[in-house]
Amino acid sequence: MISFWENLGHRATMLFLAFADTIAFSGRVFLRIFQRKTYSSAMREVLVNQIYFTSVQILPVFLLVSIVFGSLLIGIVFTLLKQFGLTDFIGHVLMGLIVTELAPFLTVLLITLRSSAAINTEMAVMKVNREIKTLETFRIDVIDYLLAPRVINGIISIVLLSSLCSIVLLVSGILFSRLIFGMGMDVYSKILLISTNFSDIVIALVKCGIFGFFITLIPIRFGLRASHELTSIPVAVSRGMVNVFSAILIIEVLSLVTKLF
Amino acid sequence: MTQNYRLQAAPVSSDVPLISNQEAYLNIALIKAYHENMPMREARRLALELLDRLGLAHIALRRNPALTPEERFYVMLLRAAMVRDARILIDQPFKMIPQLKDFAPVMAALKKIDDLYFSCHIYDYSWMKEKYGGAGS
Repeated sequence: MISFWENLGHRATMLFLAFADTIAFSGRVFLRIFQRKTYSSAMREVLVNQIYFTSVQILPVFLLVSIVFGSLLIGIVFTLLKQFGLTDFIGHVLMGLIVTELAPFLTVLLITLRSSAAINTEMAVMKVNREIKTLETFRIDVIDYLLAPRVINGIISIVLLSSLCSIVLLVSGILFSRLIFGMGMDVYSKILLISTNFSDIVIALVKCGIFGFFITLIPIRFGLRASHELTSIPVAVSRGMVNVFSAILIIEVLSLVTKLF
Repeated sequence: MTQNYRLQAAPVSSDVPLISNQEAYLNIALIKAYHENMPMREARRLALELLDRLGLAHIALRRNPALTPEERFYVMLLRAAMVRDARILIDQPFKMIPQLKDFAPVMAALKKIDDLYFSCHIYDYSWMKEKYGGAGS
């Protein structure tokens, strides 16, 4: 019995320490983003490349998924609203649920599956190949050169792609509001404007920024925890991805709690 | 003084590999772009010019796994030479280029880029002395 409590206590302590460690590390990276010396020309080159890989290369697939998934979602939601006689709430549902909740969530899932997994593997491979040691040997700060551009890219990409996804969803809304409710575009836009809550949009954008920060930072951190053996790569990647998804859920819950107050 | 040595140290060693997700010329350009904030376009041009000086311009766009041991060594050498007032430290060159018969080709390459570094030190086992033509200690 004592051993059970010991184990539980040990695990809880370890979990707390790991969480505190991640938060402290996040703070260091966050502060570094605001330091001018971080932005060397080498770092800026990495940043531009990262934005290209994360935001531009994904565009065709992202748009396709947004259109298909968005149209499906909007169609289902509008049909349900009509069935339950909740047509008056169409604007609130569009802005409060679809634009500020589902668009960021869909975006972060797609980017996590594509880019976070890639970043996690890239870092683990660099660690195994001793390339991280190379950077340190040549006095290249790993936070400045590897972390900061990827984290900034994460923030920029999620904010931009989430906004794009919201636009796609709202455009789908025009089509479905006409098909399901026989609503004209002028009425649709008026409903949207009335239902738009500035604070909700700010919360959604801040949430996107936080998503972007953590879905790049956590994979890097776990990637860098790989040892010098090839077998440590899959372990580092799977641990990193599990933690990224946990972080997404925690951020989502925290944003909902923030909205309540 | 020790601090300066530390800043000038520029190792060429199998323990300090090239960054594999970057092309050869970007590995060279990185040092100036990071430490001296040299615009990337200029750093790239310099890297290409130096590769050309060693007759290796054709490998500029190749990444680490696609390089032969000899090409990899020269890219590492150029990267080391990019450190300001570099004190190049070559660690067991014959281990890095197994097919190398004697040190003459490396000496020739070092001569071609002697304007780029402050000093060059080669570390190897004493039983390899013959391969260096008996020179050095």
